[in-house]
Amino acid sequence: MDQPVGIVLVSHSAQLAAGLRELLAQIGSDTVPVAAAGGAPGGGIGTSYDLIHAAITEVDHGAGVLVLPDLGSSVLTTRTVLDDHPRPDVVMVDAPFVEGAVAAAVTAAMGADLDAVAHAAKEARDVAKL
Amino acid sequence: MSPSSETTTTPTDTEAVRTADQGTHSPAEFELAVTLPANLHARPAGKLAQTAARFSSSIRLDYAGKSVNPTGVLAVMSLGATAGTTVTLRAQGEDAEQAVQALAAVLASAE
Repeated sequence: MDQPVGIVLVSHSAQLAAGLRELLAQIGSDTVPVAAAGGAPGGGIGTSYDLIHAAITEVDHGAGVLVLPDLGSSVLTTRTVLDDHPRPDVVMVDAPFVEGAVAAAVTAAMGADLDAVAHAAKEARDVAKL
Repeated sequence: MSPSSETTTTPTDTEAVRTADQGTHSPAEFELAVTLPANLHARPAGKLAQTAARFSSSIRLDYAGKSVNPTGVLAVMSLGATAGTTVTLRAQGEDAEQAVQALAAVLASAE
């Protein structure tokens, strides 16, 4: 795989998404394209269709895109974006936001394909933290 | 297994243990105990997982009675291994020794 899978972090908070993106780069996945799509249009807490759509486009380098929503309307807004722009290689996964993103980013950095990266994110739910 | 009991009774950061089984073409095994210079936190765990993925051998990382596959970054973090303690890397397969040496180098350079 020439290009790693891209990752989009969707959150109600721009700072939460940006902070998680910063963490992912530190954990050794600075080769993986990661975009933060946090906050409402124009700022504040909320989610933005346009930010999510732009983030997907930004990290799509040909190997597919994994979208990780934090909760609630992050899921709903992402779903609307994906319904409007259906593609088999752009998928949203149900995973813990931080752990799922870390597992996905490290797996993507290994050169794994979209299925493996999505699986790593979902599997994060079953890994004990302590 | 005598190799593991040997490493736990004399934990040094350089002691390598090869299996005594020679003369057959069973998969190579290699084992190394590493004393951690720093806590095995997120950053080294990420580097360890990415390094482990480059090898075909089956690899385990053992710490305090727990054993994880080092390609799993979250599993590695969940060990909670702290600076000054000893972890053991074990690999079985064609590139077992290279895998263990590469992972030991990652652990030894953790900050």
